Amino acid sequence: MAETRGATVEFRSVTKRYGDTVAVDGLSFAVPAGRICVLVGPSGCGKTTSLRMVNRLIEPTSGEILIDGENVLQGDPTELRRRIGYVIQQTGLFPHQTVADNIATVPRLLGWPKERIGARVDELLTLIGLDVRMLRRYPAQLSGGERQRVGVARAMAARPPVMLMDEPFAAVDPIVRERLQNEFLRLQRDQGITVIFVTHDIDEAIKLGDRVAIMRAGKLVQYAPPGELLAHPADDFVARFVGSDRGLKRLSLLTVGGADIDPNFDRSRLDGAPVLSPSMTLRDALAAMLASESQTGKVMDGDRYLGALTLAKIGAMLRVETPA
Amino acid sequence: MTLLGDVAGWFADPAHWQGTHGIPTRIVEHLELSGLAVAVAIVLSVPLALYLGHVGRGGFVAINVANIGRALPSLALLAFALPIAIALGLGLGFWPTLFALVPLAIPPILTSTFVAVREVDRDVVDAARGMGLRESQILRAIEIPLGLPLILDGMRTASVNVVATATLGAIVAGGALGRFIVDGLALQDYPQLVAGALLVALLAVATEVSFAAFARATAPAGMTANP
Repeated sequence: MAETRGATVEFRSVTKRYGDTVAVDGLSFAVPAGRICVLVGPSGCGKTTSLRMVNRLIEPTSGEILIDGENVLQGDPTELRRRIGYVIQQTGLFPHQTVADNIATVPRLLGWPKERIGARVDELLTLIGLDVRMLRRYPAQLSGGERQRVGVARAMAARPPVMLMDEPFAAVDPIVRERLQNEFLRLQRDQGITVIFVTHDIDEAIKLGDRVAIMRAGKLVQYAPPGELLAHPADDFVARFVGSDRGLKRLSLLTVGGADIDPNFDRSRLDGAPVLSPSMTLRDALAAMLASESQTGKVMDGDRYLGALTLAKIGAMLRVETPA
Repeated sequence: MTLLGDVAGWFADPAHWQGTHGIPTRIVEHLELSGLAVAVAIVLSVPLALYLGHVGRGGFVAINVANIGRALPSLALLAFALPIAIALGLGLGFWPTLFALVPLAIPPILTSTFVAVREVDRDVVDAARGMGLRESQILRAIEIPLGLPLILDGMRTASVNVVATATLGAIVAGGALGRFIVDGLALQDYPQLVAGALLVALLAVATEVSFAAFARATAPAGMTANP
């Protein structure tokens, strides 16, 4: 299904200095192909600088950045940028060009034939769920969410193996943001593209990241999958940054199916208990149980009774997985 | 009231519409002189302003230097230019006047063009660069089209100023519409004087109106929510 093969991205001791100020300090980490790596941290931590060094909008002072083992610092930056998707917060759509022309930007730069560009634009429009009538519209005629979708489509147009996204969903309202995040995850899985994603929102990082890199004052503090980050924060800074509710956040990464379900629980005692499905997150399950004032949830896989999940079990998981 | 009648009479005289001293010839002379002055100013300032606006540096220095041109009285420039033009064998009239008009046209064109490029949304430029447009492509495909209304605005201001000031040429034996004013004054032929002033005013307004129409026709698409 994946049309694009994602590339690996590796930072090796990357440093950026501005005079005496060190913006990024000896950054080293590797992103596996086809995964989403989220750089997160307070403002001024160097996350955006790190992102912009990948496509050389900022040149590193020292170190190497490798895409599929190839050092991006060698060769022509313009050629490099055409092979890397780029999405920014305000989308940076060209206001004087139609949606179709915006999406076609990189394929045009690469000299694709007209028919191929047209076919690709139509394909992307379907992928991002916009109507073909939108093609002739200008960015000012679109909603914030639509603009953001077009921005993502434009970045993906020439099937780049790597995509850089700088707070792409920060400017839209929370409901639209959630929808865009879900669509983006689906699209990324489908296309198999490697993504480096910058945000200041830890919840967004946990939701989207296969790996999360927490940065502080130019340094990488912790680089781990989100579950591990929540379960074992490397230090007090990370613990504070992920929040005192990190146990609850972690529940949103775990599913009912993966929890400790009691299959021998007497089913007749579960009248009035909320029905939970195995694919539901523990966070949603907890909310459902609290809302119905029930100590237990009835876990059903379709019509099949799997057992009961108790509040006590969820509480136990919180305690076990996040030692104080 | 008699003066107005006399002016109308002056316009009604077919002799004033014919030959090398007729109104059509003077209008053409006036447009040639003004057009060339603005064209020279464009050639001198637009490339510089585009470059400075694109790199985002040095623009305000350039603008301040150019503004000296605005401070220098055109009449003084004309007086300077006259002996030089004569020494170079360029003669009276056209060339000294051109020399006096160009510094008048440069500041609005330089300033507007610089600001036009500078004011293009930096996010849009950043996205363009990040997607792999070369610097020249960013200027050509993004900054110039988006800045065009403001660039034209500067050219319009410059042109109107030049059209209004080109009458000075008549003082140094140039042609153009200033001829009617200067001659009218010298001969105490007030109908001719007023007619010349009216023609200059009309030409300036016409310049303004045609620039506005051109700007509307070339405005970048998609810049309003419901174009």
